[in-house]
Amino acid sequence: MQTPRPRYSAAALLRARFSRHFWKPLWNPAKPQDHYDVVIVGAGGHGLSTAYHLARDHGIKRIAIVEKNILGYGNVARNTTIVRSNYLLPENHYFYEDSLRRYEGLSRELNYNVMYSPRGVVDLANSDDEMVALARRGNAMRLAGIDAQLLDRPGLVRFAPELNPYLPRRYPIMGGLVQRRAGTVRHDAVAWGYARAAAALGVDIIERCEVLGLTTQAGVASGVETSLGHIRADRIVFAVAGHTGAIGTMLGIPLPVETHLLQAMVSEPIKPLVGSVLIYMYGHAEVYITQSDRGGLVMGGALDGMPSYTREPAWHRLEEIVQSAVALLPQIAGVKILRHWAGTNDQTMDGSPLIDRLKYDNVFLNGGWCYGGFKAIPASGAACATLVATGTAPDLIRNFRLSRFASGHMIDEKGAGPYPVRQ
Amino acid sequence: MSAKLRTGRRITGETFAFYFDGQRYCAQRGDTAASALAAAGVRAFGRSIKYRRLRGLLALGPEEPNALLTVGEPPACLPNVPAPVVRVTPGMRLYSQNRWPSLRVDAGSLLRLGAGFWGAGFYYKTFMWPSWKFYEGLIRRLAGLGAAPAESKLPQSKVLHLDADVIIAGAGAAGLRAALDAARSGQRVILCEREPVIGGELSFETASIDGVAALHWVQRASEELGHLGARIMTDTAVISARGNVVIAHKQPAGLPGADTLLRLYAPMLVNAMGAVERPIAFIDNDLPGIMLAGAAERLISDYGVCVGKRIVLFGNHDRLYRTAIRLRQGGVNVKAIIDTRALTASASRAILLAAGVECLQAYTIVRAEGGGAVRAVQIAPIKKATAVRRVDCDSVLVSGGWSPAVRAAAPSDWHSVCGAAAGELALAAIAGASDDDGEPQLEAYWRSPCATADEKNQFVDMQNDVTVADLRQALAEGFCDIEHVKRYTTLGIGTEQGATGGMLGAAIVAELSGSALAAIGTSRARGPYQPVPMGVLSGSRVGAGLRPERRTALHEEHAKAGAVLELMAGWMRPRYYQGNGADAFAAGIVEAARVRKQGGICDGSTLGKLEIAGADAPAFLDRLYLNSASAIETGRARYAALLREDGIVLDDGLLLRQAADRFTATTSSSHGAHVLSHLEFYRDTEWRGRRIAISDVTECWSVLIVAGPASRTALTAVLGRAWNEPLLNLRHMAFVERTWSAAAGVGAKLRLLRASFSGELAYELHCHPDIACPLWQALVAAGLAPFGLEALDILRVEKGYLTGAELNGLTTPMDAGLGAMLKAGADGLTRNSVGRALLGREGYLAADRPILVGLRAADGKSQFLGGAQVTTTTTATQSLGYITSSVFSPALQEWIGLALIARNCSAAGNELIARDPLRGGNTRVRIVPPAHLDPEGQRIKA
Amino acid sequence: MSLFTCPFCGSRNLEEFSFHKTLPNVAGGAFEEIYLRRDAPSHSDEHWQHRYGCRAWLRVQRNPSSGEVFAVELLTGTKP
Repeated sequence: MQTPRPRYSAAALLRARFSRHFWKPLWNPAKPQDHYDVVIVGAGGHGLSTAYHLARDHGIKRIAIVEKNILGYGNVARNTTIVRSNYLLPENHYFYEDSLRRYEGLSRELNYNVMYSPRGVVDLANSDDEMVALARRGNAMRLAGIDAQLLDRPGLVRFAPELNPYLPRRYPIMGGLVQRRAGTVRHDAVAWGYARAAAALGVDIIERCEVLGLTTQAGVASGVETSLGHIRADRIVFAVAGHTGAIGTMLGIPLPVETHLLQAMVSEPIKPLVGSVLIYMYGHAEVYITQSDRGGLVMGGALDGMPSYTREPAWHRLEEIVQSAVALLPQIAGVKILRHWAGTNDQTMDGSPLIDRLKYDNVFLNGGWCYGGFKAIPASGAACATLVATGTAPDLIRNFRLSRFASGHMIDEKGAGPYPVRQ
Repeated sequence: MSAKLRTGRRITGETFAFYFDGQRYCAQRGDTAASALAAAGVRAFGRSIKYRRLRGLLALGPEEPNALLTVGEPPACLPNVPAPVVRVTPGMRLYSQNRWPSLRVDAGSLLRLGAGFWGAGFYYKTFMWPSWKFYEGLIRRLAGLGAAPAESKLPQSKVLHLDADVIIAGAGAAGLRAALDAARSGQRVILCEREPVIGGELSFETASIDGVAALHWVQRASEELGHLGARIMTDTAVISARGNVVIAHKQPAGLPGADTLLRLYAPMLVNAMGAVERPIAFIDNDLPGIMLAGAAERLISDYGVCVGKRIVLFGNHDRLYRTAIRLRQGGVNVKAIIDTRALTASASRAILLAAGVECLQAYTIVRAEGGGAVRAVQIAPIKKATAVRRVDCDSVLVSGGWSPAVRAAAPSDWHSVCGAAAGELALAAIAGASDDDGEPQLEAYWRSPCATADEKNQFVDMQNDVTVADLRQALAEGFCDIEHVKRYTTLGIGTEQGATGGMLGAAIVAELSGSALAAIGTSRARGPYQPVPMGVLSGSRVGAGLRPERRTALHEEHAKAGAVLELMAGWMRPRYYQGNGADAFAAGIVEAARVRKQGGICDGSTLGKLEIAGADAPAFLDRLYLNSASAIETGRARYAALLREDGIVLDDGLLLRQAADRFTATTSSSHGAHVLSHLEFYRDTEWRGRRIAISDVTECWSVLIVAGPASRTALTAVLGRAWNEPLLNLRHMAFVERTWSAAAGVGAKLRLLRASFSGELAYELHCHPDIACPLWQALVAAGLAPFGLEALDILRVEKGYLTGAELNGLTTPMDAGLGAMLKAGADGLTRNSVGRALLGREGYLAADRPILVGLRAADGKSQFLGGAQVTTTTTATQSLGYITSSVFSPALQEWIGLALIARNCSAAGNELIARDPLRGGNTRVRIVPPAHLDPEGQRIKA
Repeated sequence: MSLFTCPFCGSRNLEEFSFHKTLPNVAGGAFEEIYLRRDAPSHSDEHWQHRYGCRAWLRVQRNPSSGEVFAVELLTGTKP
């Protein structure tokens, strides 16, 4: 049984001052039951969101999430908190737009402030040719009813005064494509908010329970073998982004996935400088910069450049990303980097996700999130839940099927081909 | 200010003035902001981030959580500089942070009134109505520590690579001992010390080592290491260590300005970085005047600063007594020593008792009192916390034990840890000291007992205002794992990464949750070990050093001719020449029209050029390129394309056959590196052991593109009689190679290739860069005007030729109109070149696959732009494709374009809508064949 | 792991090398070869190039969970 939870509000905060045991755990540690309707492997953003939607939208009662570490400790805790839907290809932009719309209302839906901050995401262009490429993407978004605006140089400086045109820069900035509704969301809050909402709907969240194997019976999966014993399940969902390759190894099937490190870094807190999310590419270098509400400049860039499950970021990539950041914002040369860290990305052969059945009719994969995992969480959970509950993939994710590579229907946003390190 | 000049190990006696919050103070050379201000009696250095409490010095190193200052004034200020690290210079201006309008009077302090409301994670529970955005602006302004700089005046920092047999991090007792051992055994040693002086805590150590006083031993060790060739680097902090590479940061004066980033290579790293002293939590333990005992000792020994006149010492180990003796020797009145342990056998304690110092055992401090600074402490027996006694004091020195300075670098096969960093605290064991107290006999003690309601004033992480109450609340809400606690309460995520508060927080979490500390653990520390300025990480990769600017041999010619240069694939290329028009659009039209009417010359040197030689080269190229290389006759060239393994066009260019076993492949400017790696991969795998050599000769050949009806005449005039025959007889896609001598006598190889990217009679002159300029000058003198990329783009769009705009990483050869290359060869066989195997997939053959088409405005005059999407109607949401390129054609006097449009909608004559909501609106366009001009190619053959 | 040992050039900084892809280690045709990977946490079989060095293509076997490098070999098999 779940303990009743206090509804969060300013009034509750006031009341809590005068009541000693007012706050309750967001989720209670659960022990595995013998059997569940659905077992979800992985208590990250996607697993939690899928569980929440299975329980809320499809009325499934017996759901467990098993997590080998602790809840919300994978990529949902390691990203740069950016949410956006400024994708070129329809398969991507409709999906991410659905996610962004869900993020817009998520705080009130979950009664948990995930701090959705529509501060605008702007892609910057170094040349007229890049402006044409941005126009192509922005026009595609506008056709789909997604907000996008092309800013010329003066418009860009008005939008982001930190891009002071009088500062010395190696490359000129010609303008940018801005999506104003895009922005940031407090990443941990998404995991905790979904965990609290899922737990309130009766989902068992079982931490420190590692899945060791899949058991089958008559050609379908019958449960999972875990470090806490066998758990029987009618349906099993793997939502272990960053370890999808390991699932392939466990099931003995090669997947179109390579696991790579993506690092991020944060500076010391300073007063507001960067008001939006700046995305800057020149040559093959890339950096994205935003400033957290605490004041730290949060930055990221390209993949570390080799397969890794270590979560140990490479030093040389830190230098390269910071070089790009200083090239964009020369005024921050004296601001100090505090920490860098890495998440493990399951990079697919076209840079787009995989949501599909996996090997068995009752086993599902939600992964291959590449760079897009965090921004996809609300839509991914809702759509994946529909697939698991009804057996049919909703239109939004139908193109994310595993067979698309064999049939030649790749969703290759960057046109980089089946070389994940270039995606 | 005291008339008597302070003396200390690090200060020189030379005095000067500096300013803190606008007020003038005096410092000595060698002083840090912390020591100089503390000497002047300053207690409060800043305010805390959340509750805006006045804060003073706690530690005396980069682990200082409170005393962070802004150095200098906007626009080029440096925020968040730890006062104990920055060395004061004459006239330096320092400012406290997180206060408005002043440090004393701060409007933000009102936030403290709601302290119970602003507990851990309060922001997750409120600010949802009307939206977070509504509150965010104010919250952002309140948060953040120092001011944001608007510019930077820092000079470029240096990067230095060094290698050694052993790198030792930390030159305290343990580091010096390790360095001596290694150097004496003949190893090359690099010893890094983050402080400006070596010796660490031996600065104030009274024990002797190897028979001499500790400081004397340090001096001797330094000299011996010098003789043995060891390199001692002070002001140098090790900030990362992985896989036999150590990153260190040298920052003289504790302030960005003359930094060096060091990359040190060695098979062995010794971590002797010591330990960080921990505070103990009690009520209002954050009052200015409460600091770590080690910090106070160093202030005396190194800077001659006494932190107070009436001092209380508080801790849980024997070191307290030695500290007390040294303080008394410095003339300080030690009022009491509060030891949390019940039994102590310290010899020093006996001395102090004999001298009449109050030494309390099994006692604790329950609360500090004071406004702007500590004025008294309330003490009580541990077993009876209600029997409170008050002790007046002006300073409290706390020591709750030590945590290893760096948690991130776990020992491994190349990385060992020694000294205090490894938990070894007895100097006798570390360096062989005699008359030392030995082990400090520490007994864990983390916080004094207090009512739950007062826990909100027991501070654990001072920088982030994390209190015991916050930890308790986190646990109550189910955040039990230390990583969850860290994220929920912000414990240990400050600039010092929880150096002082992290272990304390973990211990209190263990206590509150009834677990063992070992089971709780500490949160995962993340590199770098110390904050490092971004300008230092950038090193020389700033400004022009970020990416070398690639220039062709003709760069000076372009400059003289008034070219407007544009960056393309790393190269600087002329976009247009200023004399030809006011902007790129106008000049491009003039230049393109001139090429068609007379002729022109363009720098094509940036084209990639690969030479592929060897007996197996023809068969190799047959495998790599879509069309057959072996069928090319010597002296001829062929347009060719190659595919990625997934069937997508990787690049296109020309294949030139110079001899039976020698080819040159040209690539696009931007794909040269990729194509080279691609060919080398097949050379090393599928074709291993075969006779193939591949050389990148891109920069060995300059390329002059000479195009237009007048090109042959101009070339005849310039190249001389010897070239008349080939100029007359050279067929399209044929070339000759000879030596050409300029008038000045410079002779070099010149390849004359008849090929056209403009649709005109045209030649490419591939030549040695040495003769590029004379050749160019002569051709210009012969009447060929230079044209740039803008004109080149107009010319090729008029002809429907492909560039990277069309070959965008999604285009198959069928999409790009290169399907003919896939047909069976003359021998009737379909060739098995790379990428073909997967071309038959359903998705590649779909009816709505975008294919290359030409586009005109339906009305013959409207403008449409590259990047517009194309649909069937003005309201359709489904895109059929997009416009890859558009230009105004001077030859056709209208807008023309190329586009990739769904095959089933791309019949010539079909009318569609170009949708460009970002830049204008809708244009009705008509599909035409890609070649807008001279589709039969009459002009090329002229 | 910050250094790689190139069979030609010896111990060099990692950033001189560029990773290309991991190998599927399954029998199959062009599709499997190009699109599938054996992405095991314990062992990874990879193609790299010493791009900012001798430009040799390399086969690298590593443990992607620890960074340990088991072997770096020339794809041509032997030094010429």
